[in-house]
Amino acid sequence: MVDTTTQQNINKQLFQKLELAYFCVDHSMVVKDVSSNLSQYGFTDVCEGGNIEDFVDFMVGLDSHTEIDLPLVASPSGIPISVSLLPSEEQLTVLIANASVQAEQRQKLQQQANENELLVYQQKKLMAELERASAELERKNLQLEEASRLQTSFLSGVSHEFRTPLTSIIGYTNLVRKDLRHVSEQMVPRIAKTDDSQSYLRAVQRSSKHLLSLVENLLDHGKLDSNEIVIRPKRTDIAEVFEDAAILLHPLSTTKNIEFEVETNFSSPAFAVTDDSRLRQCLINLVGNAIKFTDTGSVTLSVDWKDDILDVAIRDTGPGISEEDLQKIRLPFWQAADTGKAGTGLGLTITERLIEMMGGELRIESKLGEGTHVHFALPMPAAPEGDSPVEQTNAEAVPLKLLLVEDDSDIADLVWMMLSERGVDVVHVANGALALDALNDDSFDIVLMDIHMPIMSGYDAIQELRARGDETPVVVMSASAMEADREKAELLGCQAYLTKPVDVDDIMNIADAVLSS
Amino acid sequence: MSKKKICMVGDFSVGKTSLTQKFVNNVFSEKYLTTIGVKIDTANVGHTKLIVWDVAGRDSLSSINASYLVGAAGVVLVADGSRPHTVDDLNDIWSTVTQRIGDVPAVVALNKADLDDWGVGDDKVTEFRSLGWDVFNTSAKNGQNVPELFERLVEKINA
Ligand SMILES: Nc1nc2c(ncn2[C@@H]2O[C@H](COP(=O)(O)OP(=O)(O)O)[C@@H](O)[C@H]2O)c(=O)[nH]1
Ligand SMILES: [Mg+2]
Repeated sequence: MVDTTTQQNINKQLFQKLELAYFCVDHSMVVKDVSSNLSQYGFTDVCEGGNIEDFVDFMVGLDSHTEIDLPLVASPSGIPISVSLLPSEEQLTVLIANASVQAEQRQKLQQQANENELLVYQQKKLMAELERASAELERKNLQLEEASRLQTSFLSGVSHEFRTPLTSIIGYTNLVRKDLRHVSEQMVPRIAKTDDSQSYLRAVQRSSKHLLSLVENLLDHGKLDSNEIVIRPKRTDIAEVFEDAAILLHPLSTTKNIEFEVETNFSSPAFAVTDDSRLRQCLINLVGNAIKFTDTGSVTLSVDWKDDILDVAIRDTGPGISEEDLQKIRLPFWQAADTGKAGTGLGLTITERLIEMMGGELRIESKLGEGTHVHFALPMPAAPEGDSPVEQTNAEAVPLKLLLVEDDSDIADLVWMMLSERGVDVVHVANGALALDALNDDSFDIVLMDIHMPIMSGYDAIQELRARGDETPVVVMSASAMEADREKAELLGCQAYLTKPVDVDDIMNIADAVLSS
Repeated sequence: MSKKKICMVGDFSVGKTSLTQKFVNNVFSEKYLTTIGVKIDTANVGHTKLIVWDVAGRDSLSSINASYLVGAAGVVLVADGSRPHTVDDLNDIWSTVTQRIGDVPAVVALNKADLDDWGVGDDKVTEFRSLGWDVFNTSAKNGQNVPELFERLVEKINA
């Protein structure tokens, strides 16, 4: 049992240790007693008889009957305190203790925990954003791919549309040139005039041919992009391929007055298994480029075939390519800005892809002012002796079979060329009598008939044909635009009447219409 | 002059301390210092002396100590508009308030309105309004709607 004195001592000790302060209020919140150390917590001027709410903010709103603990309150002095409201019958005692130690511990712990949680939250948010961003990127990528696919298919479509009229421009200018030559032979005084026309026509043809080759490059690019080009290796005399390339390119080097040499370690016949037309395309492109960009000196094509590998190197003494341009040169549609050489910028892209498809890799080494060295190697096994050419399997639809009856061999050639391009199987005869023979021996889907021909005219031939009971559809093709001729053709049961110069599209459209009816 | 006690309640780091400091002392700090326990400030609004209890937020270690709420005439429910879950948490916090001190006047501060990544839907605002709360988009940083927030609460308390 602790006596009163001891109790008082303990209390004193406790008060000092906890730095306890206090005040007492009656039930009307009037201050009755204040400990002397209360001001150490910043509660100053608390005087007996006053209302506690006027001195101590935290007392506002509290009542004198409720026991309550308020831990960790920041006191006006800045010292954290814990406050206990202890009501009794007569009064409310409010005990205030120094809670610095507790607050400090708590502060560290809480700060850490809260900061961690915020960090985790931010991280999650960032991750989600990253995911969104990458999904967005992916979507954009797909869009780009789609756009590029559309672009390619648009280019292919347009190129295809260009090709036919170009072919016919080239064909018809050819015919006009031949006509002019004929005229100049007969009419001596006008020779100068026709000479001019000849050279103009040559210019038209040159430009058209250039356009055609660009269009063909665009078409190839489109096919490569959509994986439509297939490499078809077959037994090939590769010596012939290189000779062809040399023959084709020599005129080009001669006009530029540069040397062009071909060195091979084999001679004809050298049978290997390869896609000769694609190989030829690569050679013409690469050597053509070398000649195009070399203005003095030489271009050398050296070929080495051994151990089933064909090694091709093309060296030129041209201006060379800067390191920066070497990076871009393989991009489709890229062109060196200052060369002034025309092209689509597709040749190299196409060649590189073709070489890859044939199992090789195109390497280009160059330095400005030191010429360019282009190199590629292809796997190229020798063809077994006596092996017959591997047949190209063409699983396409059966081609349209057309009988072309035309006495002018130039026009016949032209129409034949244009129709063959469209995959039509064309048989050509020169007059009505021969046409009847041909129709006797063979069957055709359609006949394309000129009217004015020697031996037997078109009309006579059609009449005879119908008399035989042969109902093969006939399309008349005539230089005459006279209505009477058209009517006559109709009368004879012809399916259509075309006026020269005929448009191959018209022929194809009529053929489609006739055959589907 | 009448004295009224109000409490700032809401999750940690939503800006309770910042709103109080902006309103009372017109200061703002980017630095985050967790409030421990409670800090008491005063400000005069019209003829009312407001005793603002800036209470430690609800966090992973503890929920709001309801003893601090005793005697409050109203509360400011604070959420961080850029952290949507702090907005959702207001419903829970409100039930803590009502359990201890009943249905006192309340205003809502959707704080940090100056930030770009705002994540509060209109439906949430509509829900809060239907509970009888006035909703303010506030920013302790640029002061947007800060006086309005406290003035509105005082109006409601004195009504
Ligand atoms: N941008 C912005 N940041 C704020 C705003 N209010 C508070 N903050 C920041 O948010 C963090 C937490 O604020 P604080 O007032 O301590 O939040 P409490 O835990 O609710 O008291 C601090 O880093 C503040 O600087 C605001 O309106 N806008
Ligand atoms: Mg705080």
